[in-house]
Amino acid sequence: MFFRKSIIALTGLFLCLFLIVHLSANSILLLPEETARELYNSYSTTLRESPIIKIVAYVLYLSILLHIVYALLITLNNRRAKSKRYTLNQYRENSSWTSQNMGLLGIMILLFIVVHLANFWARIKLGMGEGVGLDANGHVDVYEVTYSLFQNIYYVLFYTLLMAPLGLHLYHGLKSAFMTLGFYHKKGLRIIAKLSLIYAVIMAVGFGIIPFIVFFK
Amino acid sequence: MKVTFKIWRQDNAASKGDFVSYEVDRLTEDMSFLEALDYLNELLVARNEKVIAYEYDCREGICGQCGVFINGRAHGPHDHMTTCQLHMRSFADGQTIVVEPWRATAFPVIKDLVVDRSAFDNIIEQGAYISAKTGTAPEANAILVGKEVADKAMDAAACIGCGACVATCKNSSAALFTAAKINHLNSLPQGKQEASKRVLEMTRQMELEGFGSCTFTGACEVECPEGISILNIAEMNARRAKAKWFD
Repeated sequence: MFFRKSIIALTGLFLCLFLIVHLSANSILLLPEETARELYNSYSTTLRESPIIKIVAYVLYLSILLHIVYALLITLNNRRAKSKRYTLNQYRENSSWTSQNMGLLGIMILLFIVVHLANFWARIKLGMGEGVGLDANGHVDVYEVTYSLFQNIYYVLFYTLLMAPLGLHLYHGLKSAFMTLGFYHKKGLRIIAKLSLIYAVIMAVGFGIIPFIVFFK
Repeated sequence: MKVTFKIWRQDNAASKGDFVSYEVDRLTEDMSFLEALDYLNELLVARNEKVIAYEYDCREGICGQCGVFINGRAHGPHDHMTTCQLHMRSFADGQTIVVEPWRATAFPVIKDLVVDRSAFDNIIEQGAYISAKTGTAPEANAILVGKEVADKAMDAAACIGCGACVATCKNSSAALFTAAKINHLNSLPQGKQEASKRVLEMTRQMELEGFGSCTFTGACEVECPEGISILNIAEMNARRAKAKWFD
């Protein structure tokens, strides 16, 4: 179980790093229409053509899979460890709701990832569904895919609302990952807890607000 | 004062068990919770009914024997307290008090509110001791221990093994208990010789006993009568990784 928990922590930390890069790229969408389209498309083309990014992408897929599979195995084992639950349990008096419901939050994020991959990854990388055109520079017009998706208010709401479970999951997950990996410096952990909160808020608000801004663009 | 106890009754490990409600009058708020249960048991004896089984020893908050889940909290509504230190003044007149045994697969119910905590003993047997020659007590200053180290070891050694950490944990993890036992001895010079073996074997036994994993909800620290910090768990993780990969 220690090995599995460490893998969950390490893959989680890697995914946290990935989100920083992802949000930085998404912030291009906030620029004025023409600049945003050009930058966003050339950025995504560069990524797709880079062999290093190809390796990183496989590490990313693997991280997501390992994070899910080991979390599932750990959860099943934890359920076996508590075969009977309490009739009355006031757990909110001794712990946060988030820390008690990481699995539920994880499932919500997984639901988001499935839809998100279907919207972008499947269309652009796998060529499924409606074809994607080229922009004036001959780059695949990923901007258009994004822009047209977020003209649909239901997608905007879905993308925004599901950033709440992401933020909560990140907040508890990030600070706990350090403890799982054996970081036990008291003051250091206090700083990590604060940084985790700041990080989680930036990610949730950042990812959550961009679809709205694109919608009203 | 008058309260309704809703108490888990179960004849043995094999039987199913269920709640039974008892209205108890003429209690005072100065009574301890266990005294209220004693009083209820006397009423049951007078009525020729089976008494409620529950554990206690010192009733001073130091032995770790008492321990039941009261109104949704391990050891009752207060933080850092044993069941024996809980008084009826913590409840309102006319209140219903739900009392359940610790719930964990590794702590099977023996009878009513009594659970078998042998799993803790099995973990202790794997290394919560030092191998030393017995005989006359050695000179106290033969091995120097710094104040900070002594304090840290003592904070971990404060664990009374009541099982509240396992009881309150959503995963029934024994991480706080095991970490306290490991860090207590591994911090001290006397424990260094067997440090790696201790952490590896005790954590291995912890898993074999069927306890779950730690997910750092922090509930154990709040319910622990001694307030043992969950940082101990992070430290145990570090010690285990070091023993496993570098020793």
